[in-house]
Amino acid sequence: MAEEREITLRRFDLSDLDDYMVWASDHRVSAFCRWDTYTDKEDLRRYMRETVLPHPWFRAICLGGRPIGAVSVNLGAGCDRCKGELGYVLAAAHWGRGYGTAAAKMAVRSVFQEVEGLERVEALVDVDNKGSQRVLEKAGFVREGVLRKSMVLKGRTRDMVVFSFISADALVD
Amino acid sequence: MQADSSAVPPNHDHRKQEPDITLRPFDLSDVGAFMTWASDPRVTSFQRRGPCTSEEDARRYLADHVLPHPWYRAICVDGRLVGSINAKPGQGEERFKASIAYRLAYQHWGRGIATAALRAAVSSLLEEWPHLERLEAIAEVENPASQRVLEKAGFLREGLLRKYVMLHGKSRDVVMYSLPATHPNSDDI
Repeated sequence: MAEEREITLRRFDLSDLDDYMVWASDHRVSAFCRWDTYTDKEDLRRYMRETVLPHPWFRAICLGGRPIGAVSVNLGAGCDRCKGELGYVLAAAHWGRGYGTAAAKMAVRSVFQEVEGLERVEALVDVDNKGSQRVLEKAGFVREGVLRKSMVLKGRTRDMVVFSFISADALVD
Repeated sequence: MQADSSAVPPNHDHRKQEPDITLRPFDLSDVGAFMTWASDPRVTSFQRRGPCTSEEDARRYLADHVLPHPWYRAICVDGRLVGSINAKPGQGEERFKASIAYRLAYQHWGRGIATAALRAAVSSLLEEWPHLERLEAIAEVENPASQRVLEKAGFLREGLLRKYVMLHGKSRDVVMYSLPATHPNSDDI
Protein backbone atom coordinates (compact mmCIF):
# COMPACT_ATOMS: atom_id res chain seq x y z
CA MET A 1 0.00 0.00 0.00
CA ALA A 2 1.13 3.56 -0.73
CA GLU A 3 1.16 4.52 2.96
CA GLU A 4 3.64 1.76 3.77
CA ARG A 5 6.17 3.30 1.37
CA GLU A 6 5.92 6.62 3.22
CA ILE A 7 6.09 5.24 6.76
CA THR A 8 9.21 3.89 8.44
CA LEU A 9 9.75 2.51 11.94
CA ARG A 10 12.93 3.16 13.94
CA ARG A 11 14.06 3.32 17.56
CA PHE A 12 13.49 6.59 19.43
CA ASP A 13 16.25 8.93 20.53
CA LEU A 14 16.07 11.66 23.18
CA SER A 15 16.50 14.19 20.36
CA ASP A 16 12.95 13.20 19.27
CA LEU A 17 11.55 14.89 22.39
CA ASP A 18 9.95 17.87 20.63
CA ASP A 19 8.31 15.69 17.98
CA TYR A 20 7.07 13.31 20.70
CA MET A 21 5.60 16.24 22.64
CA VAL A 22 3.35 17.08 19.66
CA TRP A 23 1.07 14.06 20.26
CA ALA A 24 1.89 13.51 23.94
CA SER A 25 0.46 16.93 24.81
CA ASP A 26 -2.72 16.47 22.73
CA HIS A 27 -5.95 15.58 24.59
CA ARG A 28 -7.46 14.12 21.43
CA VAL A 29 -4.62 11.62 21.27
CA SER A 30 -4.52 10.67 24.97
CA ALA A 31 -8.31 10.29 25.26
CA PHE A 32 -8.29 6.52 24.72
CA CYS A 33 -4.78 5.94 26.08
CA ARG A 34 -3.68 4.71 29.47
CA TRP A 35 -1.40 7.73 29.93
CA ASP A 36 -2.41 11.31 30.74
CA THR A 37 -1.68 14.26 28.48
CA TYR A 38 1.81 15.69 29.07
CA THR A 39 2.10 19.35 30.02
CA ASP A 40 5.79 19.41 31.01
CA LYS A 41 8.55 18.47 28.56
CA GLU A 42 10.75 17.33 31.47
CA ASP A 43 8.13 14.74 32.46
CA LEU A 44 8.12 13.49 28.87
CA ARG A 45 11.92 13.43 28.75
CA ARG A 46 11.91 11.28 31.89
CA TYR A 47 9.30 8.96 30.36
CA MET A 48 11.41 8.62 27.20
CA ARG A 49 14.56 7.93 29.20
CA GLU A 50 13.00 5.50 31.69
CA THR A 51 10.41 3.71 29.57
CA VAL A 52 10.74 4.35 25.84
CA LEU A 53 14.50 4.03 25.29
CA PRO A 54 15.09 0.84 27.36
CA HIS A 55 11.85 -0.83 26.21
CA PRO A 56 12.25 -4.24 24.54
CA TRP A 57 10.11 -3.15 21.56
CA PHE A 58 9.20 0.51 21.09
CA ARG A 59 9.41 2.28 17.73
CA ALA A 60 8.86 5.73 16.30
CA ILE A 61 6.38 5.89 13.41
CA CYS A 62 8.17 8.19 10.95
CA LEU A 63 6.99 10.16 7.95
CA GLY A 64 9.88 11.44 5.90
CA GLY A 65 12.16 10.30 8.72
CA ARG A 66 10.46 12.40 11.42
CA PRO A 67 8.35 10.85 14.21
CA ILE A 68 4.59 11.36 13.88
CA GLY A 69 3.67 8.68 16.41
CA ALA A 70 4.78 5.61 18.27
CA VAL A 71 4.12 1.88 18.21
CA SER A 72 5.13 -0.63 20.86
CA VAL A 73 4.71 -4.27 21.76
CA ASN A 74 4.71 -5.24 25.44
CA LEU A 75 6.10 -8.77 25.56
CA GLY A 76 4.90 -11.40 28.03
CA ALA A 77 7.02 -13.68 30.22
CA GLY A 78 6.67 -17.19 31.56
CA CYS A 79 3.29 -18.66 30.60
CA ASP A 80 2.62 -15.46 28.65
CA ARG A 81 5.81 -15.54 26.59
CA CYS A 82 3.87 -16.53 23.46
CA LYS A 83 2.08 -13.21 23.37
CA GLY A 84 2.64 -9.48 23.17
CA GLU A 85 0.33 -6.48 23.38
CA LEU A 86 0.41 -3.87 20.65
CA GLY A 87 -0.13 -0.21 21.39
CA TYR A 88 0.17 2.68 19.00
CA VAL A 89 -0.46 6.39 18.88
CA LEU A 90 -0.47 8.91 16.06
CA ALA A 91 -0.41 12.70 16.05
CA ALA A 92 -3.91 13.99 15.25
CA ALA A 93 -2.73 15.92 12.18
CA HIS A 94 -1.94 12.60 10.51
CA TRP A 95 -5.14 10.72 11.32
CA GLY A 96 -7.26 9.32 8.49
CA ARG A 97 -4.41 8.70 6.03
CA GLY A 98 -3.78 5.01 6.64
CA TYR A 99 -0.55 5.60 8.59
CA GLY A 100 -1.84 3.77 11.69
CA THR A 101 -2.75 0.73 9.61
CA ALA A 102 0.63 0.80 7.86
CA ALA A 103 2.49 1.12 11.17
CA ALA A 104 0.50 -1.71 12.78
CA LYS A 105 1.20 -4.02 9.81
CA MET A 106 4.91 -3.19 9.81
CA ALA A 107 5.19 -3.57 13.59
CA VAL A 108 3.52 -7.00 13.53
CA ARG A 109 5.76 -8.19 10.69
CA SER A 110 8.91 -6.98 12.46
CA VAL A 111 8.09 -8.20 15.94
CA PHE A 112 7.30 -11.75 14.79
CA GLN A 113 10.63 -11.81 12.94
CA GLU A 114 12.60 -10.38 15.86
CA VAL A 115 11.10 -12.08 18.91
CA GLU A 116 11.59 -15.83 19.22
CA GLY A 117 8.63 -17.76 20.56
CA LEU A 118 6.13 -14.97 19.92
CA GLU A 119 2.94 -16.40 18.43
CA ARG A 120 0.24 -13.86 19.30
CA VAL A 121 0.12 -10.07 19.12
CA GLU A 122 -3.02 -8.74 20.74
CA ALA A 123 -4.50 -5.29 21.03
CA LEU A 124 -7.18 -4.01 23.39
CA VAL A 125 -9.32 -1.14 22.16
CA ASP A 126 -12.04 0.79 23.97
CA VAL A 127 -15.48 -0.22 22.60
CA ASP A 128 -16.10 3.44 21.79
CA ASN A 129 -12.86 3.88 19.85
CA LYS A 130 -14.22 2.93 16.43
CA GLY A 131 -11.34 4.56 14.55
CA SER A 132 -8.75 2.38 16.22
CA GLN A 133 -10.89 -0.74 15.72
CA ARG A 134 -10.96 0.00 11.97
CA VAL A 135 -7.19 0.48 11.89
CA LEU A 136 -6.63 -2.96 13.40
CA GLU A 137 -9.17 -4.67 11.16
CA LYS A 138 -7.55 -3.15 8.08
CA ALA A 139 -4.15 -4.26 9.38
CA GLY A 140 -5.42 -7.84 9.41
CA PHE A 141 -6.16 -8.33 13.11
CA VAL A 142 -9.03 -10.65 14.03
CA ARG A 143 -11.68 -9.35 16.42
CA GLU A 144 -12.09 -12.04 19.09
CA GLY A 145 -14.64 -10.52 21.45
CA VAL A 146 -15.34 -7.89 24.09
CA LEU A 147 -13.73 -8.17 27.54
CA ARG A 148 -16.13 -6.44 29.88
CA LYS A 149 -14.82 -4.02 32.49
CA SER A 150 -11.29 -5.12 31.74
CA MET A 151 -9.36 -1.86 31.75
CA VAL A 152 -9.37 1.38 33.71
CA LEU A 153 -9.01 4.39 31.42
CA LYS A 154 -9.15 7.92 32.81
CA GLY A 155 -10.59 6.63 36.07
CA ARG A 156 -13.43 4.62 34.49
CA THR A 157 -13.64 0.87 33.96
CA ARG A 158 -14.09 0.20 30.28
CA ASP A 159 -15.22 -2.63 28.05
CA MET A 160 -12.39 -3.45 25.63
CA VAL A 161 -12.51 -5.15 22.25
CA VAL A 162 -9.74 -7.73 22.00
CA PHE A 163 -8.01 -8.22 18.64
CA SER A 164 -5.23 -10.61 17.74
CA PHE A 165 -2.75 -11.34 15.00
CA ILE A 166 -1.24 -14.83 15.07
CA SER A 167 2.20 -15.58 13.62
CA ALA A 168 0.60 -18.01 11.17
CA ASP A 169 -1.63 -15.16 9.92
CA ALA A 170 1.49 -13.11 9.15
CA LEU A 171 2.72 -15.64 6.62
CA VAL A 172 -0.41 -15.17 4.51
CA ASP A 173 -0.19 -11.36 4.53
CA MET B 1 -27.05 -10.94 34.61
CA GLN B 2 -29.56 -10.08 37.35
CA ALA B 3 -28.67 -7.28 39.74
CA ASP B 4 -29.25 -9.02 43.05
CA SER B 5 -26.80 -8.20 45.80
CA SER B 6 -25.05 -11.55 45.94
CA ALA B 7 -24.52 -11.81 42.17
CA VAL B 8 -25.09 -15.56 42.49
CA PRO B 9 -27.37 -17.00 39.80
CA PRO B 10 -30.92 -17.83 40.91
CA ASN B 11 -31.93 -21.14 42.42
CA HIS B 12 -32.85 -23.27 39.40
CA ASP B 13 -34.05 -26.84 39.79
CA HIS B 14 -30.69 -28.30 38.84
CA ARG B 15 -29.11 -26.70 41.91
CA LYS B 16 -30.91 -29.21 44.14
CA GLN B 17 -28.64 -31.84 42.60
CA GLU B 18 -25.47 -29.86 43.37
CA PRO B 19 -23.56 -31.29 46.32
CA ASP B 20 -22.92 -29.41 49.57
CA ILE B 21 -19.44 -28.01 49.44
CA THR B 22 -17.40 -25.85 51.78
CA LEU B 23 -14.33 -23.78 51.10
CA ARG B 24 -11.56 -23.35 53.67
CA PRO B 25 -7.92 -22.26 53.76
CA PHE B 26 -5.25 -24.90 53.21
CA ASP B 27 -2.96 -26.29 55.89
CA LEU B 28 0.36 -28.11 55.44
CA SER B 29 -1.29 -31.23 56.84
CA ASP B 30 -3.48 -31.32 53.70
CA VAL B 31 -0.51 -32.48 51.62
CA GLY B 32 -1.73 -36.08 51.33
CA ALA B 33 -5.16 -35.16 49.93
CA PHE B 34 -3.55 -32.43 47.81
CA MET B 35 -1.36 -35.03 46.13
CA THR B 36 -4.49 -36.87 44.92
CA TRP B 37 -5.11 -34.35 42.19
CA ALA B 38 -1.78 -32.54 42.08
CA SER B 39 0.03 -35.68 40.93
CA ASP B 40 -2.65 -36.68 38.41
CA PRO B 41 -1.78 -35.80 34.78
CA ARG B 42 -5.48 -35.91 33.86
CA VAL B 43 -5.99 -32.93 36.18
CA THR B 44 -2.71 -31.14 35.58
CA SER B 45 -2.91 -31.28 31.78
CA PHE B 46 -5.12 -28.19 32.00
CA GLN B 47 -2.87 -26.49 34.56
CA ARG B 48 0.22 -24.40 34.02
CA ARG B 49 2.15 -26.61 36.39
CA GLY B 50 2.97 -30.23 35.65
CA PRO B 51 2.12 -33.03 38.10
CA CYS B 52 3.75 -33.06 41.53
CA THR B 53 6.30 -35.85 41.54
CA SER B 54 6.58 -36.41 45.28
CA GLU B 55 4.99 -35.49 48.60
CA GLU B 56 8.03 -33.28 49.26
CA ASP B 57 7.37 -31.48 45.98
CA ALA B 58 3.70 -31.01 46.99
CA ARG B 59 4.63 -29.85 50.49
CA ARG B 60 7.00 -27.26 49.03
CA TYR B 61 4.30 -26.03 46.63
CA LEU B 62 1.80 -25.73 49.50
CA ALA B 63 4.30 -23.81 51.65
CA ASP B 64 5.73 -21.56 48.93
CA HIS B 65 2.73 -20.90 46.75
CA VAL B 66 -0.60 -21.96 48.27
CA LEU B 67 -0.32 -20.78 51.87
CA PRO B 68 0.98 -17.25 51.09
CA HIS B 69 -1.42 -16.83 48.12
CA PRO B 70 -3.86 -13.86 48.20
CA TRP B 71 -6.85 -16.25 47.85
CA TYR B 72 -6.50 -20.01 47.70
CA ARG B 73 -9.11 -22.37 49.14
CA ALA B 74 -9.58 -26.07 49.61
CA ILE B 75 -12.83 -27.48 48.22
CA CYS B 76 -14.38 -29.91 50.69
CA VAL B 77 -17.30 -32.30 50.27
CA ASP B 78 -18.58 -33.86 53.50
CA GLY B 79 -15.41 -32.59 55.16
CA ARG B 80 -13.14 -34.36 52.64
CA LEU B 81 -10.68 -32.42 50.53
CA VAL B 82 -11.49 -32.96 46.83
CA GLY B 83 -9.91 -30.01 45.05
CA SER B 84 -8.89 -26.39 45.17
CA ILE B 85 -9.92 -23.02 43.84
CA ASN B 86 -7.98 -19.77 43.76
CA ALA B 87 -8.36 -16.17 42.68
CA LYS B 88 -5.43 -14.14 41.45
CA PRO B 89 -5.95 -10.39 41.75
CA GLY B 90 -4.47 -8.00 39.20
CA GLN B 91 -1.42 -5.94 40.13
CA GLY B 92 -1.51 -2.21 40.89
CA GLU B 93 -3.97 -0.50 38.55
CA GLU B 94 -5.49 -3.90 37.74
CA ARG B 95 -6.61 -4.67 41.30
CA PHE B 96 -10.21 -4.26 40.16
CA LYS B 97 -10.06 -7.62 38.40
CA ALA B 98 -9.16 -11.16 39.38
CA SER B 99 -8.84 -14.45 37.54
CA ILE B 100 -10.23 -17.65 38.96
CA ALA B 101 -8.87 -21.15 38.47
CA TYR B 102 -9.89 -24.45 40.02
CA ARG B 103 -9.04 -28.12 39.90
CA LEU B 104 -10.74 -31.23 41.17
CA ALA B 105 -9.61 -34.78 41.87
CA TYR B 106 -10.58 -36.92 38.86
CA GLN B 107 -12.88 -39.27 40.78
CA HIS B 108 -15.09 -36.30 41.70
CA TRP B 109 -15.59 -34.93 38.20
CA GLY B 110 -19.12 -34.74 36.77
CA ARG B 111 -20.99 -34.25 40.07
CA GLY B 112 -21.43 -30.47 40.03
CA ILE B 113 -18.75 -29.89 42.67
CA ALA B 114 -16.72 -27.43 40.61
CA THR B 115 -19.84 -25.41 39.75
CA ALA B 116 -20.84 -25.25 43.42
CA ALA B 117 -17.29 -24.29 44.41
CA LEU B 118 -17.24 -21.51 41.83
CA ARG B 119 -20.53 -20.10 43.08
CA ALA B 120 -19.27 -20.15 46.67
CA ALA B 121 -15.94 -18.60 45.68
CA VAL B 122 -17.63 -15.81 43.71
CA SER B 123 -19.89 -15.06 46.67
CA SER B 124 -16.94 -14.84 49.07
CA LEU B 125 -14.78 -12.81 46.73
CA LEU B 126 -17.44 -10.17 46.09
CA GLU B 127 -17.80 -9.77 49.84
CA GLU B 128 -14.08 -9.75 50.67
CA TRP B 129 -12.96 -7.54 47.75
CA PRO B 130 -15.53 -4.73 47.41
CA HIS B 131 -13.31 -2.99 44.82
CA LEU B 132 -13.65 -5.96 42.44
CA GLU B 133 -15.32 -5.20 39.10
CA ARG B 134 -14.37 -8.16 36.97
CA LEU B 135 -13.90 -11.86 37.67
CA GLU B 136 -12.48 -13.77 34.73
CA ALA B 137 -11.63 -17.36 33.96
CA ILE B 138 -10.22 -19.17 30.98
CA ALA B 139 -10.87 -22.69 29.76
CA GLU B 140 -8.95 -24.37 27.00
CA VAL B 141 -10.86 -24.82 23.75
CA GLU B 142 -10.17 -28.57 24.20
CA ASN B 143 -11.75 -28.56 27.68
CA PRO B 144 -15.52 -28.39 27.10
CA ALA B 145 -16.23 -29.81 30.58
CA SER B 146 -14.63 -26.77 32.17
CA GLN B 147 -16.48 -24.46 29.78
CA ARG B 148 -19.76 -26.02 30.92
CA VAL B 149 -18.78 -25.60 34.59
CA LEU B 150 -18.13 -21.89 34.08
CA GLU B 151 -21.37 -21.43 32.14
CA LYS B 152 -23.40 -23.21 34.82
CA ALA B 153 -21.79 -21.00 37.45
CA GLY B 154 -23.06 -17.93 35.58
CA PHE B 155 -19.91 -16.86 33.74
CA LEU B 156 -20.49 -15.42 30.27
CA ARG B 157 -18.39 -16.37 27.27
CA GLU B 158 -16.56 -13.40 25.79
CA GLY B 159 -14.55 -14.92 22.97
CA LEU B 160 -12.01 -17.40 21.73
CA LEU B 161 -8.51 -16.07 22.30
CA ARG B 162 -5.98 -17.74 20.03
CA LYS B 163 -2.59 -18.87 21.38
CA TYR B 164 -3.30 -16.98 24.58
CA VAL B 165 -1.24 -18.93 27.09
CA MET B 166 1.61 -21.47 27.23
CA LEU B 167 0.81 -24.77 28.91
CA HIS B 168 3.40 -27.52 29.04
CA GLY B 169 5.51 -25.96 26.30
CA LYS B 170 2.71 -25.35 23.81
CA SER B 171 0.60 -22.26 23.14
CA ARG B 172 -3.12 -22.88 23.64
CA ASP B 173 -6.36 -21.44 22.35
CA VAL B 174 -8.69 -20.57 25.21
CA VAL B 175 -12.22 -19.38 25.78
CA MET B 176 -12.40 -16.29 28.00
CA TYR B 177 -15.25 -15.96 30.47
CA SER B 178 -16.20 -13.22 32.87
CA LEU B 179 -18.68 -12.43 35.58
CA PRO B 180 -19.17 -8.72 36.11
CA ALA B 181 -18.95 -8.12 39.84
CA THR B 182 -22.26 -6.69 40.94
CA HIS B 183 -22.03 -5.13 44.37
CA PRO B 184 -25.00 -3.88 46.42
CA ASN B 185 -24.12 -0.19 45.95
CA SER B 186 -22.85 -0.27 42.36
CA ASP B 187 -24.72 1.41 39.53
CA ASP B 188 -24.28 -1.68 37.34
CA ILE B 189 -27.16 -3.29 35.54
